[in-house]
Amino acid sequence: MEKHTELTVTAAGTSRFQKYMTALSKQKMLMLMSLPFLIWVFIFKYVPLWGWTISFQKFRPSRGLFEQEWIGLANFKFLFQEEAFYRVLRNTIVMSSINLVLGFITAIVLAILLNELRSIMFKRTVQTISYLPHFISWVVAANIVQSAFAPEGIINILMLKMNLIDQPVLWLGKGEYFWSILGATEVWKNVGWNTIIYLAAITTIDPSQYEAAEIDGASRLQRILHITLPGMKSVIVILLIMNLGHILESGFEPQYLLGNGMNVDYSENLDIFVLKYGMNMGNYGLATAAGMFKTVVSFIFLMAANSVAKKLGESRLY
Amino acid sequence: MTQRKWLKTSLAVVMASVLLIAGCGSNNANNKGANSGETGDETAPVTYTYFSFGSNKDITASDTDIGKKLQEQTGVDWKMEFAVGDVSTKSGVMITGGDYPDVIVPEGEIDKLIDAEAFTPLNDLIEKHAPNIKRVYGDYMDKFTAEDGNIYVLPFSADQGYISDPNIGQGAFWIQRGVLKEFGYPEIKTLDQYFDLLAQYKAKYPTVDGKDTIGFITFAGVKDNFFTITNAPMHLAGFPNDGGVTVDMETHEAKVYAASDIEKPWLQKLNEINAAGLFDPETFTANKDQYLAKLTSGRVLGYFNYGWQVGDATNNLKTAGNDDLRYVALPIVYDESITDQYIDPPAFVNNRGIGISVSAKDPVRIIKYFDNLLTEENQKLVQWGEEGVTYSVNEEGRYVMDDEQIAKRNDNEFKRSYGWSYFEYSWPRYGNSSVFADGNSYAVGNQPEVAFAGYTEGDRTILEAYNIQTFAEPFAAPQDRPWFPAWSVNKEQGSAEQIYEQKSGDVQQKYFPKLVFAKPAEFESVWNEYVAEFGKLDVAGYEAFMTKNVKERVAGNW
Amino acid sequence: MGQAKSSRKVYSTVPDKIFDTFNIVFMIGLMVVTLYPFLNMFALSFNEANDSIRGELYIWPRQWTWANYEYVFNESSIFWATFISAARTIIGTITSVFATAMLAYTISRPEYLLRKFVTIAFIFTMYFSGGLIPNYLLTKELGLLDSFWVYIIPGLVGVFNMIVIRSFIEGLPDGIMESARIDGAGEFTTFMKIVLPLTVPALATVSLFVAVYQWNSWFDVFLYNSSNLKLSTLQYELMKILSTSTTSTGTTAGDAFANAQGSATAVTPTSIRATMTIVASLPIIAVYPFLQKYFVTGMTVGGVKG
Repeated sequence: MEKHTELTVTAAGTSRFQKYMTALSKQKMLMLMSLPFLIWVFIFKYVPLWGWTISFQKFRPSRGLFEQEWIGLANFKFLFQEEAFYRVLRNTIVMSSINLVLGFITAIVLAILLNELRSIMFKRTVQTISYLPHFISWVVAANIVQSAFAPEGIINILMLKMNLIDQPVLWLGKGEYFWSILGATEVWKNVGWNTIIYLAAITTIDPSQYEAAEIDGASRLQRILHITLPGMKSVIVILLIMNLGHILESGFEPQYLLGNGMNVDYSENLDIFVLKYGMNMGNYGLATAAGMFKTVVSFIFLMAANSVAKKLGESRLY
Repeated sequence: MTQRKWLKTSLAVVMASVLLIAGCGSNNANNKGANSGETGDETAPVTYTYFSFGSNKDITASDTDIGKKLQEQTGVDWKMEFAVGDVSTKSGVMITGGDYPDVIVPEGEIDKLIDAEAFTPLNDLIEKHAPNIKRVYGDYMDKFTAEDGNIYVLPFSADQGYISDPNIGQGAFWIQRGVLKEFGYPEIKTLDQYFDLLAQYKAKYPTVDGKDTIGFITFAGVKDNFFTITNAPMHLAGFPNDGGVTVDMETHEAKVYAASDIEKPWLQKLNEINAAGLFDPETFTANKDQYLAKLTSGRVLGYFNYGWQVGDATNNLKTAGNDDLRYVALPIVYDESITDQYIDPPAFVNNRGIGISVSAKDPVRIIKYFDNLLTEENQKLVQWGEEGVTYSVNEEGRYVMDDEQIAKRNDNEFKRSYGWSYFEYSWPRYGNSSVFADGNSYAVGNQPEVAFAGYTEGDRTILEAYNIQTFAEPFAAPQDRPWFPAWSVNKEQGSAEQIYEQKSGDVQQKYFPKLVFAKPAEFESVWNEYVAEFGKLDVAGYEAFMTKNVKERVAGNW
Repeated sequence: MGQAKSSRKVYSTVPDKIFDTFNIVFMIGLMVVTLYPFLNMFALSFNEANDSIRGELYIWPRQWTWANYEYVFNESSIFWATFISAARTIIGTITSVFATAMLAYTISRPEYLLRKFVTIAFIFTMYFSGGLIPNYLLTKELGLLDSFWVYIIPGLVGVFNMIVIRSFIEGLPDGIMESARIDGAGEFTTFMKIVLPLTVPALATVSLFVAVYQWNSWFDVFLYNSSNLKLSTLQYELMKILSTSTTSTGTTAGDAFANAQGSATAVTPTSIRATMTIVASLPIIAVYPFLQKYFVTGMTVGGVKG
């Protein structure tokens, strides 16, 4: 009896498999166009995953895989039992959320405002200049931010003149301001760059829609809300899902460069923590363990976001 | 149509570039082939590879005057390469790949490379081929022989005799010369006297060029230089720079001084001067550029720093020519009963050096090159250059330099082309405090005649006012500390000691600003909080580890 | 274009004018803050390094000098390195954009049976990495060390870019590809003749991303080709110059003498970094307007072109 069922299952499986193969054989060209890349991704992205074994080792680069000293979950234990880990985790999530929300809103708003400019020349000029800070290294950018927020910097001068404060504030010395300063810095540095993709999305909107709106006498705001934004929607949703997967990537350099003893409770994030206790001490295992933790969290966020998008009937990632 | 044209053009460009680049990859391999194999001929020309984890411009040794001379003597040339970017990544891939350059200067990566067995043991090579290495390093052999009995690297600090530096390049409390002048060059010994003087001056001149005068600042805004502010109390209590511990001269017990009675008066004082408006709050947030800009502005009356941290600023002030705005180093201590120990005692740094890798094609030839480098004559060449060209010898047999020679010895471009940048350090050598057999100083800067020749009019005025010959004279002579420096004690990668150092640094970074900026009435409670937080760390374990190692060093087991 | 202009006139009401004025003022403000860092770098790079230490340098040099540029261009290796940078940027961009677009096309076909599998297999790779050491060993085993192709092959497909192109392809009107198929065009022909021309804004965007990435890359040079000068890139050579300028300022024991003697430094890391920023970013910024015209347009372009 049992054997019989098994056979039928196999038979059904085979026939389904055969059907599948027949269907697939009709898609030879599509396969030819994607399989080489599948091999590529396997070799260059999946094969190096053997490196995850490092997280269970007291890794010494000079030794082969089987000569390593295996230490079980010690690296994970160090990570999760360390009090500071939860503080840096909080900082990481808060900073990446701020970056995510601010980054999205400012880039979309800027793209729309650019789109509303009448002179194409002016539009191109603004766009070209606004993306320039993207080409400045963080070392340079941090230097400029530190000067601007110094006690005698431009921010204090302006705020004193406008009577917003009555004496200079040591902005980077106050932890509670750190997240705002970082958020503003990220926007300043990347908003122009982030806009590019939305501008490209806007170009795909059929101009006849705008013409129809004109005839209907739609206001500018209505036009933005009902034509421009919906035209960008699928790109926005897709980017949002992808970026939610990067929830534990809050950047490294700006926090490292702008951080100091006075704001460390707010500025130190996961990557800095891993640098201090992992790379700086030659502990590759800890760094790998932290990377694996990040991957797990990423997958959870990614899948959740994707299924929410699916339920809402929006475009989704896969 | 235009699109297609564009496509064609770009394809043509691609093809042309591919053809051009195709040849690039293989060349290197050919070069290597030419050098391989042991040569019977002792002076047949060869080129070996030298890799340093320090930074400098890559070069072929024979392109420098010194390298050329050494090549003429030995037939050996070097392709010298220096690290760019993150060194620990570089060492990681170097070890993973297992393909090493012939000689390596590992700097801070030494533990990883030794652990990876990247170095070839030198014991037999030295025994058989290197009389000069034996002469120079003989007394120090025990100090850098690894636990397994092998010698892997030759350190850079094997002093032959001892002469101290006439200038202060190390840690000190610095004061603006104008302040001393204003008050008639008073003697200042203690921290209280130092800050009193700064306060008086600031009261008299509250602004400089329309901006507030800054009483005191130190360099604690850059994370990896935070030690500047944490090391100060160690010096104030009369200890040299042993790192995070002070070592008792009698019992050789290593004590952590953070959160202790040694550190408290320092922070208490900073808290006090902060309340008095003498302390610059930017101490904890300024980056290096901002800090140096402040030091060169003329607004800062006093600062604590190691001389080499602020060389750019002090040089700028010297070039600017206003001697009143320059600074002078003072050996400040907590109270008069304490003997200052700012100047490093004769030290042997055993965890820096140069080694021959296991991939080296001809270790014998290399060790002979090292040995030849260590002749007295060649050691003069790498420090002083050629007699009559880069320095002169006066009637008394002393080495002297005229202004032009001094300028050249300091000119970075000339230092590169002549080869000092490449050969004065990071090769087997005498220690910096060495003295040649003829009584002249090994290091150019330690030669009193040269140091004196470099003094400006303002320098001489101040030296006369205090009736001293050199700027180092007010500092007490270093006492003998056979373990010095304790900070170079080797800690295993990722060990409890390394983690302690990281964590204690974190606690200090967090609490120092709190302590300094606290209202004076609240200082005591913040201090207790800090002590409690620090108490959570395994201080006793770290002290035990350091004491054990210090004692072993005293017993001669480095 | 003319059409767009005439159609816009309808909106010239009073609130519209207020909006436009605010918009322009806002844009000018944005330009001021985003142009500042470059002007600052410009000032620093043309200012005497020793004088720059004093700070308070904003958008105009105080003591003009060519010394910083001379120091950088004195390094003859950077000319060949610039060529390599250009080569990797051009070749890398063309290959990567073509490959990515082709892959994006296949996963945009709803009927493709492997669609979901391929999509997920690629998307996941955005969120993990085996780490530095396995990647180094892989590169070594594949014989890509000391080779130009290490700049091209490991970065062939950009997953983010793939998704971007896919979403543009999916945004194309359904009828277009169907009609191509009725005409008897195969998948590859459809991709080449229909999809590529219609997704130019997306391709231009992605090209920009890849080109900037390629141009700025130095880490792969550092890891894989650091001792082969012939394969070095501009960014990496500039990194070398920067790290050399750090040593000029004397932190080693041997240089204590230089400090004591007060030798004025010809260059400082700060001034060299500023010079580097200008030297390295000007070429890539110059390319921008050529790509920009594809995604910053008037409203007539885009959609379905005849």
